[in-house]
Amino acid sequence: MKTMTKLLATAALVAAPLAVATTAQADGHGDDLTYILISHAPDSDSWWNTIKNGIALAGEQVGVNVEYRNPPTGDLADMARIIEQATASNPDGIITTLADYDVLSGPVSAAVDAGVDVIIMNSGTPDQAREVGALMYVGQPEYDAGYAAGLRAAGDGIGSFLCVNHYIVQPSSTERCQGFADGLGIELGNQMIDAGQDPAEIKNRVMAYLNANPETEAVLTLGPTSADPTILALDELGLAGDIYFGTFDLGDEIVKAIKAGTIQWGIDQQPFLQAYLPVVVLANYDRYGVLPGNNINSGPGFVTADALAKVEEFAGEFR
Amino acid sequence: MAQAAQTDERIKEISPLRKALIRPELGGIVGTVAVFTFFLLFAFDSGMFSSQGVLNWSIVSAQFMIIAVGACLLMIAGEFDLSVGSMIGFAGMMIAIFSVTMAWPVWLAIIVTFAMCIAIGALNGFICIKTGLPSFIVTLAFLFILRGFTIFLPQVIERKTIIGGIRDAAEGDWLAPLFGGKILTGFFQWLGDNGLIAVFERGNRAGEPIVNGIPVLIVWAIALVIFGHVLLTKTRFGNWIFAAGGDADAARNSGVPVNRVKILMFMFTAFCATVFATCQVMEFGSAGADRGLLKEFEAIIAVVIGGALLTGGYGSVIGAALGALIFGVVQQGLFFAGVESSLFRVFLGVILLAAVILNTYIRRIITGER
Amino acid sequence: MSEPIIQMKNIEKHFGSVIALAGVSVDVYPSECHCLLGDNGAGKSTFIKTMSGVHKPTAGDIIFEGKPMDFADPRDAMEAGIATVHQHLAMIPLMSVSRNFFMGNEPVKKILGLPFFDHDKANEITMEAMRKMGINLRGPDQAVGTLSGGERQTVAISRAVHFGAKVLILDEPTSALGVRQTSNVLATIDKVRKQGIAVVFITHNVRHALAVGDRFTVLNRGQTLGTAMRGEITPEELQDMMAGGQEMAQLEGSLGGTV
Repeated sequence: MKTMTKLLATAALVAAPLAVATTAQADGHGDDLTYILISHAPDSDSWWNTIKNGIALAGEQVGVNVEYRNPPTGDLADMARIIEQATASNPDGIITTLADYDVLSGPVSAAVDAGVDVIIMNSGTPDQAREVGALMYVGQPEYDAGYAAGLRAAGDGIGSFLCVNHYIVQPSSTERCQGFADGLGIELGNQMIDAGQDPAEIKNRVMAYLNANPETEAVLTLGPTSADPTILALDELGLAGDIYFGTFDLGDEIVKAIKAGTIQWGIDQQPFLQAYLPVVVLANYDRYGVLPGNNINSGPGFVTADALAKVEEFAGEFR
Repeated sequence: MAQAAQTDERIKEISPLRKALIRPELGGIVGTVAVFTFFLLFAFDSGMFSSQGVLNWSIVSAQFMIIAVGACLLMIAGEFDLSVGSMIGFAGMMIAIFSVTMAWPVWLAIIVTFAMCIAIGALNGFICIKTGLPSFIVTLAFLFILRGFTIFLPQVIERKTIIGGIRDAAEGDWLAPLFGGKILTGFFQWLGDNGLIAVFERGNRAGEPIVNGIPVLIVWAIALVIFGHVLLTKTRFGNWIFAAGGDADAARNSGVPVNRVKILMFMFTAFCATVFATCQVMEFGSAGADRGLLKEFEAIIAVVIGGALLTGGYGSVIGAALGALIFGVVQQGLFFAGVESSLFRVFLGVILLAAVILNTYIRRIITGER
Repeated sequence: MSEPIIQMKNIEKHFGSVIALAGVSVDVYPSECHCLLGDNGAGKSTFIKTMSGVHKPTAGDIIFEGKPMDFADPRDAMEAGIATVHQHLAMIPLMSVSRNFFMGNEPVKKILGLPFFDHDKANEITMEAMRKMGINLRGPDQAVGTLSGGERQTVAISRAVHFGAKVLILDEPTSALGVRQTSNVLATIDKVRKQGIAVVFITHNVRHALAVGDRFTVLNRGQTLGTAMRGEITPEELQDMMAGGQEMAQLEGSLGGTV
């Protein structure tokens, strides 16, 4: 009957792209080692591209299968499900962020209990990593990094700042701002704004804040998402190079701005290492039973105009 | 058109097959079969159908089901609620603020939060009814209002956007296990002891089954689906829901209390969102300002896959539940099948489009349009 | 002749500065089809909405079964036995005939003390009522959307009759129908009238009115031009009156001075 044919056609339509996509990577399991990296970042966050490249390169060099997964909207509860799901697919190791200890500790410990090796990267603290039973922590402790940046800025004579927080629901973002304020020895107060994720909105909010608070001495952005529009905002306000500007993380525009003198320094947590090293560590652990004896701090490293050549070459790709 | 002559032929024209096809659940059933066939073929040995894997996609599907039941009944009653996702974030945050920051007993925090959220649902409905504005706009406003408060309140009160420590606060509470516990733990332990399901082989939980019970979340989902289905198909009120969404004026003319039906459905949707939020908060022990993002669309998508019409007056709770199942299985299953996760949205779009086209076709059969 | 079941006396209805009804009096008798004629904007709709409790009259009395009535809302009127079948029907195309039939008045059976919609009973009654009106349904779960316009009118009418209507107001039931469907509806009206129910039939089609009407009232610009019995008036006269009543003076005599 006509109806039935149409139904079948519809079903085939749904299944066709699925089949194509799967055959490309269906042989992910088997005798090879498989590691899954799970991030808390929404799809829209370009910073994680370095992470994807990092694990891909490590997988290629070490000869293991790597997969990258993330909750599309950045919802941490969804991320917990993804960790559970990854555990159920029985990989050799899981590399995950610990963006919210309360939400993720359960699924991560369950993975450990199920016999999966876990390394915590990026978000979280060494203490939390130990608590959930992870092998180690690879990353940059956020508060400490913010604090170190604050001390540096204090040394440069800064007494007030604007923290452009583009990811306000993520606790580690707030910790960066808080650490920076504490490093400066001042109250955070209203100096942190919820900038949202949209570039135009970020730009306009920064401009609005700086117009309303002309005495602001410094700007701190938390990554390319907030830094890029902030650079534009400062250009437009004629403050570029005039106002003290530090940022977390690197990207194309940030590197250019450092070179141009708009940004004094970028705090590089070297995400490449956060992705690359855990894969190497896990592979060697699984193959030869060797494991470094401590956590690995991938950052903070301050990138200034002096050391830009390599950064510039690989910004957005491996830096 | 020779009307009289045709009357009898037309009666014969409806074959049993065609009759079976004009059920709103059809899209959901076809989709479910297709999706499971696909994953059985491509992801069978990936752990997707181990006890742990089954639980994984079951929980995700159950979450969708909880909000889909509310969204389904509301959509059949002819209205939308776009504030569901924000309501989830808001409800979770209120429970956290009440129980952790203000140190209320958790049961009180839960009850007060339910009361608040249901009241907000009623307000949504009241504004739609009184102003005659489309619910699309009114609830879009609440999407922003509630999300704003969800970010603002914890920042003002606790200086952060995630409030944890709810699990500790819920220790020994009588109401909390109704949302965050597991049932049949003894049965699963027994299954594990007898080697019927996988157990932890090492660590401090060695010997315990990896899946140690059915989360209450799943019980809630099933209970709400059954409740919604019975309410819709077996009661007078269910008839009023169809009537209110099919043609509100016609329903009013026939003495159906349309306004009451719609407001109650807004309240029920809010209730479902709060159940979702409470289960999540009790399971994870913390409430975050980003919880529930985009869940309103996921609920609506599940409902539409399940055969409901966006214009109201037609649909099925069972269909919506199947839609949620498809949604959950596809979302988690793609990971098992090793498909690049960014393609998930592509599949979702394809399934949605196919479902909507199928549903339009079914409606044409029902109403006899060509 | 029996007593009128409903008497509308000097009904006035103003909407702000607009006078929709300027003192209309009509008596409706059981077992009769009372045709209310008038051109568009003559006040027919306002008049029947007043009769069915949608509008409250600005002035005038409604006497129902000998007692003055004051309907708060359509439900009151419905409970008293005044049912309206609206121009745009109270039918929902996507719902089944039986669900439509009982919409707002669903039969209930108790299971474990909880009230449930008694679908079996509803289906049975619907099929029976439809058969009486000469419509063969495929089944009680057939969607109303698959019925023809005339069949929908019949469902609506038989629903009203089933729920104990004493006065049945039909708002332009034939205006959008073809010839055959119109005659089906008119036949239905005849059946209903024979059951002792008073039918108020609103139309602007004189031929439809004359086919089943026992009494004819013409409305024009919010006023009645009088009521005529069957046989006292010709189609041409009715048509002229609806058209504007230029020849009103001439016609007044033939209407029996009831203006």
